[in-house]
Amino acid sequence: MANSQPVATLYDAPMWQSLAREHMQLQSCGHCGTLRYPPGPICSACTSMDYHWTDLSGGGQILSWVRFHRAYFDDHPPPYNAVAVRLDEGPIVVSNLIGPEPEGEWIGRRVRLTYRCHLDRTQHAFMLFEQS
Amino acid sequence: MTGSLSGVASVIGIGQSDWVGDHSRVRAGERPHDSYGYGAQAFLSALADSGIARDEIDGLIVGPTTAYERVGELLGLNVRWGGQADAMTAVMEACMAIHAGLASVVALVYGNDQRSAQVNYGGPDAQGGAAFLAYVYHAPWGFTSQGALYAMMARRYMHERGLSEAELGEVAVAQRLAASRNPRALMRKPISIEDYLASPFICEPLHLFDYCLINDGGVALIIAEAGKARSIGRAPVAIKGVGRYDLNRGATSLEPRLLDYYLPAQQAVAAQVFEMASLGPEDMDALQIYDSFSLHIPLALEGYGYCPVGGAGRFMRETGISLAKGLPVNTSGGHLSESYMQGWNHQIEAVRQVRGEAGDHQVEGCRHVHYSSDVAGKAISIIYGA
Ligand SMILES: [Zn+2]
Repeated sequence: MANSQPVATLYDAPMWQSLAREHMQLQSCGHCGTLRYPPGPICSACTSMDYHWTDLSGGGQILSWVRFHRAYFDDHPPPYNAVAVRLDEGPIVVSNLIGPEPEGEWIGRRVRLTYRCHLDRTQHAFMLFEQS
Repeated sequence: MTGSLSGVASVIGIGQSDWVGDHSRVRAGERPHDSYGYGAQAFLSALADSGIARDEIDGLIVGPTTAYERVGELLGLNVRWGGQADAMTAVMEACMAIHAGLASVVALVYGNDQRSAQVNYGGPDAQGGAAFLAYVYHAPWGFTSQGALYAMMARRYMHERGLSEAELGEVAVAQRLAASRNPRALMRKPISIEDYLASPFICEPLHLFDYCLINDGGVALIIAEAGKARSIGRAPVAIKGVGRYDLNRGATSLEPRLLDYYLPAQQAVAAQVFEMASLGPEDMDALQIYDSFSLHIPLALEGYGYCPVGGAGRFMRETGISLAKGLPVNTSGGHLSESYMQGWNHQIEAVRQVRGEAGDHQVEGCRHVHYSSDVAGKAISIIYGA
């Protein structure tokens, strides 16, 4: 095994820099305003290649979640969760829920964006909204 | 229908390597063959089954795990037309090439040494990331392996459509029953729903028995132009319809999985493939569904109209999807219990069923078999018939 590593295309780098500042930004389409995740060269909604980096409200909702019971990476010893969060701005982001876990159903719970230092990088994570 | 591929081509030969024997040898630490060796064994077996001579082959498609030229070199095949594709695309492309007059007899050859070569489908060197960004993009959060992608999809699907854990378990139980009657299957000990529920989670909510096997092996098919196929003698199995629709938008952020459950793709393919074949779901005697994970089965049952949307759990529990009850699905045991040949074993099982040569796992009076795959939201169907 080895540690997990981010995919780092030309378009991902500014996002990871924004995470390092604990101020996550995504590209917003210059034509239709659609946010891109993962970052990329073109808007898949309207095909405009214009964009600017924009702040996020930090709000979102859990669409689904899993719990790993098998080790795949040295830096992620099981058990650990992963959540699919629909950001209020639209994109779906896969991340980790940190802090207290929901009692009962996870799907539909409100969460807020937070940050976690992991190895030599800062990455996004989410916490239950009630715990804010 | 103008331009229809229905009845253009037929399968005249099928073959495979010795999955069971080689699995034992690999588990004992041996490496019986590499991907090329398994493919070669399967090719020889399919060629013998077809009864044609090697020099009658004028087209070659190889699976994604081997280099096209090297397979052609090893098998001594100079051809008019060729390529590289996964199982379902390979069958479709063979039909297209034959229809276009670019080839008349196409050999499809697949070999994979994934078990003995210790291929990883999750973790730092997860296979498939070059083709599917979702397989590697979420790694920083520990979210890796195709099983995890289906676990994420399954959790929401079970919540939204009301599928229970025990109902999903019907898939593993039914396919193990089929494998118990199939001497070519690797996992033949029957299991119950209780065994399923007691099996460990790998990526929760999916259990061990929801996951495909990982083993070495090869599969080959010989597909010929329909007129030529009829002249060869033994009963060819016709390809009556093919269809495809790919969901690409939002794929890396899992939108086709978590928002659509692949349904729009499958419904588009259903309309195409059933019209092309002039047949409907009610005409199908057995289904072969690509089952890297059990979840593919309820998705396909709903997507192709075998049950109402949201009705798969009840269908699997009450109507049944096994050789013992209802509409038989993955009659050889599939990827979960027979062999993980990445959709290729489903093709030769479909042919065996239509030929009536499936032995103890034969579906009585089987005339039409529907094959479906929906890996990563790329839905493909093939209908095989007598
Ligand atoms: Zn746009």
